[in-house]
Amino acid sequence: MNRAIVRLFVVGVILMVALMVNVAWIQVFHAGSLRAAPENHRLVAQQLRVKRGRILGFDGSVIAGVRRRSGFYYRTYPHGPIAPQIVGYDSARYGQTGIESSMNTFLSGTDVGASGLVDRLLGRHSPGADVRLTIVPAVQKVAQSALAGQVGAIVALDPRTGAVLAAASAPSYDPARIDTTFPRLSRQRGAPLLSRTTQGLYPPGSSFKVVTATAGLNLGKVTPTTPFVDTGTYPIYGGKVTNYHGEVFGAHDFTQALTYSINTTFAKVGTLVGQAALIAQMRRYGFYQTPPLELPAGLVYPSGRYNGAHLLPTGAAMDPLAVAWAAVGQENVLATPLQMALVAAGVANGGQVMKPYLVQRVTSASGQTLLTAAPSVWTTATTAATAQTLNGMMQQVVNAGTGTAAALSGIRVAGKTGTAQRGSSNVAWFIAFAPADAPKVAVAVTIENTQFTGGDVAAPLAAQVIKAALAQAALP
Amino acid sequence: MSRRNIELLLLVLVGVTATIAYASVYAARSHELSRDSVTTGAVFVVLFLVVHLAERRYLAQADPYLVPIAALLSAIGLTEIYRISPALAWKQGEWLLIGVVLFVATVIVVRDVHRLDSYRYLIGLLGLLLLAATAVLGTNVNGARLWIHVAGFSIQPSEFAKIAVVVFLAGYLDENKEMLSVPTARLLGAPVPPLKYFGPLVVTWVLTLLMLVFMKDFGMSLLFLATFIAMLYMATTRLAYVLAGAALFAVGAGGAYQYVAHVHERFAIWLDPWRTATTSGYQLLQSLFAMADGGIVGAGFGRGYLLYANHVPTVPELPTDFIFSAIANELGLTGAVGVILLYLLFAWRGFHVALRAADGFSKLLAAGLATVFGLQSFIIIGGVTRLIPLTGITLPFVSYGGSSLTANLVLVALLLMVSHRSEVLEAGSKTERLRLAELA
Repeated sequence: MNRAIVRLFVVGVILMVALMVNVAWIQVFHAGSLRAAPENHRLVAQQLRVKRGRILGFDGSVIAGVRRRSGFYYRTYPHGPIAPQIVGYDSARYGQTGIESSMNTFLSGTDVGASGLVDRLLGRHSPGADVRLTIVPAVQKVAQSALAGQVGAIVALDPRTGAVLAAASAPSYDPARIDTTFPRLSRQRGAPLLSRTTQGLYPPGSSFKVVTATAGLNLGKVTPTTPFVDTGTYPIYGGKVTNYHGEVFGAHDFTQALTYSINTTFAKVGTLVGQAALIAQMRRYGFYQTPPLELPAGLVYPSGRYNGAHLLPTGAAMDPLAVAWAAVGQENVLATPLQMALVAAGVANGGQVMKPYLVQRVTSASGQTLLTAAPSVWTTATTAATAQTLNGMMQQVVNAGTGTAAALSGIRVAGKTGTAQRGSSNVAWFIAFAPADAPKVAVAVTIENTQFTGGDVAAPLAAQVIKAALAQAALP
Repeated sequence: MSRRNIELLLLVLVGVTATIAYASVYAARSHELSRDSVTTGAVFVVLFLVVHLAERRYLAQADPYLVPIAALLSAIGLTEIYRISPALAWKQGEWLLIGVVLFVATVIVVRDVHRLDSYRYLIGLLGLLLLAATAVLGTNVNGARLWIHVAGFSIQPSEFAKIAVVVFLAGYLDENKEMLSVPTARLLGAPVPPLKYFGPLVVTWVLTLLMLVFMKDFGMSLLFLATFIAMLYMATTRLAYVLAGAALFAVGAGGAYQYVAHVHERFAIWLDPWRTATTSGYQLLQSLFAMADGGIVGAGFGRGYLLYANHVPTVPELPTDFIFSAIANELGLTGAVGVILLYLLFAWRGFHVALRAADGFSKLLAAGLATVFGLQSFIIIGGVTRLIPLTGITLPFVSYGGSSLTANLVLVALLLMVSHRSEVLEAGSKTERLRLAELA
């Protein structure tokens, strides 16, 4: 029996040696490729060993801070979630998005200062640099709470610089809890992870009439006082363009056409302008281009005419009926809230659309400034004179037209409503800027899945955000 | 130096090691650990001193290495559990207390393993009932039915059943080993031993297959069958049993692979975890990734990356089935190989006890217990390192789990009793011999 016992023990030794060899294979010989496997997110987690730079608001307050725990640094969000779809999350399990991803080289310290070979061998890292955003938490919070309970987006820009003051998207999520909530969020109806301000493509409806009006004025096809007569229907190319709710306005001028958002008149202006000039005007506002925000590729979509998920080329053929409908913001024209805010900002800034940006400054841990925003013109939409004319017309919308709900006492607001039908519900829009005589803020508000109009549900929210922005002592 | 003094010296070393390990976790994670949590470490030292004193009183001549090895494994396990979840470590400390009580009770009540042999069939039946109870009353966890819930406790009866089965087999095989070795009948033209002696053995084999089918407990089923074959081989020294057993298991496993979805999935994960990296293969891959991060020496207790910010372990089931991955991550290859060596050392001491035992029953019992202990460690470590398909069983003394901890302490008690007896018979004092004779 003893011999059998010894033999069995020898088998046991062989099994245990096999275990040791296998463990050595995993931990030493094969470790490199296991660490580099794309399924392995632990490397991102290793970055948690480095004191990650903070993400600050324009006011210097901390949007995403760091706290050290057991040798790792974790994100904290002292304000609660501030524009999480833009700022992004930093998860060991699910990676990074938004600013966390696009600014990762700064935030993680890999791009900061002289971290030489010796430092790397010793495992010393430079602490990450702080990224200060143009987002103003006070304005952002107003935008976020304005959207509470709704599905939609709000963008606020400084038209003079292109700085993004607020970019709210609802429904939203809490980046502090992403490690546990991600699987649910990624499947949830309403897509809380979606950055609606930059990725949400909506039919702009009547808010697009500002673009059509710009083209008409630029080409001299219309002036603010050009007379029109509305019969409720504009027949063209075997089809027709009608007004919202079948209203009939009779005799009016072009300013009134914008004030009351008369579809038939804008369809006529679109026809006068023609496809080529209308598309060219869209391009001059930034359509067909991806706004150059400091966000990862894929987080910002270009606006324009779409066929399904594909942006149509600018030369894609349109029949006259399609041109007429496109002139009132339908017919496959899709725009992001950011793009429509850029339209308002272009009018506000005398026809010059400033390059939109999110990052105000990057400062290394030692206080060295690594990057500062330099506002520049992104595209010229129109002349200062035309912009001035449009400014006046858009003020009428708020003073006497469809956008009266955006009026603020003591501040002149210029705006344009939009109500686009999508399925059985509406997408409600309001784009605006203020003060009209010296604009400091331009906004776009988009509400999905509503039965109401842009004037009803979007304009009041725009007023709240404008008021919050103008209350700021300093804007980027 | 007497055996007990050697043991005490080793236990003191283990105590110092445990204190350093605990302090290391505390130092690394002090900001989130309360100072009270360190007392778990003190409780640990006291409990193993109780074990030591019980040995001094009743098992003075028993092997001096088994308990220190078990203590060191418990210390490593408790430290790693403490590092993952202090609350869980406290519970494990409570289980250790219960285990030590059970250990002392076993020593006092049984005193001599030969008395167990008289109740061989009763014990075998008890083991069977434990398994049957699991199959009937058990709850499903992760597809396998391993647990029964009694009065607020989750008990894994198979941990106790494995000891009962080894005790039964040791007695039965020792009594019938000659009959089982000599072919007198013919089956399909091949000479085989008399069939009636196979009755209990067939029952055991069928049992393992039933476990596989009804409890879907691939790990325990493999453990039972392999232990069974090993003991059959040791009793009869006939290699044919090993081959026949292996063939039977292959047939059983093949059938299970075909017809039991749970088993099929386990094999599929083993063959290619990458294909299902985000679903069923996630856990095994996370285990491998965690180990790969450990490198040669690891970051040290409390310093590895094992928990997400919200304290969720990076590898699911980390304190139980995957505790080895956690140790390999924090202590690196050094610690991982160290733990494997400890299991090998334990098995060696177990087989050593078997070799020195005077009678067949004692030999088979000690060797059987050493086999079941060593195999269990191999199956789970092999599983989490992808050497063999993963099956969820505990890593003896290290994994979190009350049934495993208490059952393995009883296992140690039985080994020590065998050892004490043979050492007394060989070179014990007159009083020791007399006391042993009185027990018979």
